Amino acid sequence: MKASSRLAAFAATFAAAYAIIYVAAVEQNWALFTYHPATNTFAALTGAAPAGPSMYWYGWMSTAALGAGVIATAVSLLPEGLTRRIWPGLAWTVPLCAMAALAFLLKGYFLR
Amino acid sequence: MWLALLIIHGLLAFLLLGAITHQVVSLWAPPHARRGNIFARFSAVPGAAYVNAIIVLYVVTAIVGGWIYTLYRISARLTLEQGQFWKTFGAFELKEHFIALGLALLPAYWYVWRTEEHTRTRLILTTLLAFIIWWGFIVGHLTNNIRGLAT
Repeated sequence: MKASSRLAAFAATFAAAYAIIYVAAVEQNWALFTYHPATNTFAALTGAAPAGPSMYWYGWMSTAALGAGVIATAVSLLPEGLTRRIWPGLAWTVPLCAMAALAFLLKGYFLR
Repeated sequence: MWLALLIIHGLLAFLLLGAITHQVVSLWAPPHARRGNIFARFSAVPGAAYVNAIIVLYVVTAIVGGWIYTLYRISARLTLEQGQFWKTFGAFELKEHFIALGLALLPAYWYVWRTEEHTRTRLILTTLLAFIIWWGFIVGHLTNNIRGLAT
């Protein structure tokens, strides 16, 4: 029962925290690393490409996964009385809001 | 190699689309739906049996898609920009973001399908995942129609 409560808290918090950090990472370009496809090279954080474009998407996901993993682990280690209070609906409400926020950020492409 | 990867990505996405559609219809369709018609048979699947397959297919499809994305970035994307296919371009950008967000839903999705509680969360999470997968499939297909990686 205890493990189940912790698992539920971890899963809901991970989904919510990941969504928030991901949107922030996209907006602020907080990439953990950058990939340069033209030269097949990686750079730490948002390092400039020696040639061709830079890809931050993998870095944004890594930033969000790392941050959410730390937050969700910390939350799942809270006393059971607290973890039971975490609303499981966080797992979809926050990601849904994040999807809406990302659509808003990209609205320019659809209004041209 | 890219063409093979693209075909594998498409086939995996097709399997994933079928599995999640079966599961989401089994959740939304009323349990007393008329027996015998094709819709009733389509929805009469044990949704829980699809969970692990959907998770594995989602992750593997995303990994293969993420690999192909490197070539898209230096080839097909330029065609979209030069041809001013802005709506497709924006829809593809959204696809990447939605897929990334969907990856983080998987632990919660797995959890709500292994308990008897949280039926509403299970319904909404599964529907959200189905929306992401359908969006990814349709937008990926449309983008490939404009400028496929093998052309």
